[in-house]
Amino acid sequence: MARAKSEAVQEWSDAGSAMGRMYGIFFFWLFREPFPLRQLGQQIVRVMTEAFGIVCLSAALEGAMFAWLSGWDGGQFSALSWSGAASIFLLLSTTTTLIGAMIFAARIGTAFTVEIGSMQMSGQLDALRLMAVEPAQYIVIPRVLASIICFPILKALSDGVAIVACMGCAKWWFDISVPIFFQHAGSVLRSTILTTSYIRCMLHAFFISVNACGLGFHFQGGAVELGKTTTKSIVTNLIVVIAVDTIYGVLDSIMGWSVV
Amino acid sequence: MIQVRDVSFAFPHRAVLEHLTIDVEESLTTVIVGRSGIGKSVLLKCITGLLRPQEGSILIDGVDVVQAPRQTLRDIRKKIGMLFQEGALFDSMDVFENVAFPLAYHRAASGKEIEKKVDAYLDLVGMTEYARAMPQELSGGMKRKVAVARAMILEPRYLLYDEPTAGLDPASSAVVESMIRRLQQRKAITSLVVTHDIDLTRYIADRIALLEDHHILAEAGREDAFLPDSPIYQHFIENRERIRAENGS
Repeated sequence: MARAKSEAVQEWSDAGSAMGRMYGIFFFWLFREPFPLRQLGQQIVRVMTEAFGIVCLSAALEGAMFAWLSGWDGGQFSALSWSGAASIFLLLSTTTTLIGAMIFAARIGTAFTVEIGSMQMSGQLDALRLMAVEPAQYIVIPRVLASIICFPILKALSDGVAIVACMGCAKWWFDISVPIFFQHAGSVLRSTILTTSYIRCMLHAFFISVNACGLGFHFQGGAVELGKTTTKSIVTNLIVVIAVDTIYGVLDSIMGWSVV
Repeated sequence: MIQVRDVSFAFPHRAVLEHLTIDVEESLTTVIVGRSGIGKSVLLKCITGLLRPQEGSILIDGVDVVQAPRQTLRDIRKKIGMLFQEGALFDSMDVFENVAFPLAYHRAASGKEIEKKVDAYLDLVGMTEYARAMPQELSGGMKRKVAVARAMILEPRYLLYDEPTAGLDPASSAVVESMIRRLQQRKAITSLVVTHDIDLTRYIADRIALLEDHHILAEAGREDAFLPDSPIYQHFIENRERIRAENGS
């Protein structure tokens, strides 16, 4: 029992070290020539196509959920005219970012870990090194930058999907018309809310992709270990997403970045 | 010339190489034989700078790989091609793109030149008709042939082979053996092969070294290595016969 516990501690300590080292490697190679522009383009297309469907689907479900909650509670307190504004505020300021980041970690983060881990396992990273190609520069930099670029775009698209879904469900379930749905939206929305939520997106994308790439890049072992590493990738990234959102939320409150 | 001098390498809690010394001579094929897990692949990784030995020096054309800074190491690596055990082809690229990759990345040739060169090397290894196949569509032997073409495309001075016939059926092994021999004859590259395949060794080796007990135990030319009183023959052939006899097979 004690041995299993110490092995687990060792495994997580190794994983932490792998992720920690990747931050250093990322910044070391970020500004060095040659910049992998072509790979960046390929990764942008890949991240967008792989994550678009699932992020938008989850946004649609979030919209439907908020339509129900705000419509139901709004009806209880005779405040149906505020249900649209409340839903839009909560969706745009928090939910599509937080849940979107979790979906992004599950879809893209794990894909990065498995892909780079299997490249490490099959000797492809060593093969790159022997061709005088630095794997961190060729493999990691494009993935991290593509994530930072794509996640805010995905967030913008998912915001649109969430609002349309929320509006449609509000009309269907509670007969709230479109003008009423948007009646108070202008009074709760501030550009700072959108700005900070997009900054949070970029932070999430950065941490998720660097952690995922780090776990794959420093992977050692066979198929079983790769499975465990993939689990570590998603678990770590979910915790990191919550932690980053919490810390950012606290700082936001103190600094007043997105005051309504 | 590759000169390995007094090299020691250990993983945590396990010594792999101890005071190993060997010279890989120009334009010859040197084969290092030894049991599985004895440290042959580790030696290749030390030579290419993928692993750093704790002691000793490895000189490639007079430059010490062990002490070399990153840029020097990259320059040295451009002189080396290596065939990994499973080929290590890039899954996301087809055969043509795999072979073209080193040229395209280093912008070592124009688009048409790359095409011409890749075609020539695929022809050399007999893989022209599979140019648009993905690695997962190829057999083990085919993957290794493509990997050799990729390793050779930058025209390295040295070609290192890590167990080129491991896990292949006899027919595929024979194909890989003939390809290595053909490349030697046509290109006169300095080759270092690590293997436990005695048939491959007989077929391609100019010099043979036996890796045992963490260092090179014996070294000889091909003819001498297979004489019955040679230590290489005794360790490699007679030990096998003795173990078979002890196990009653």
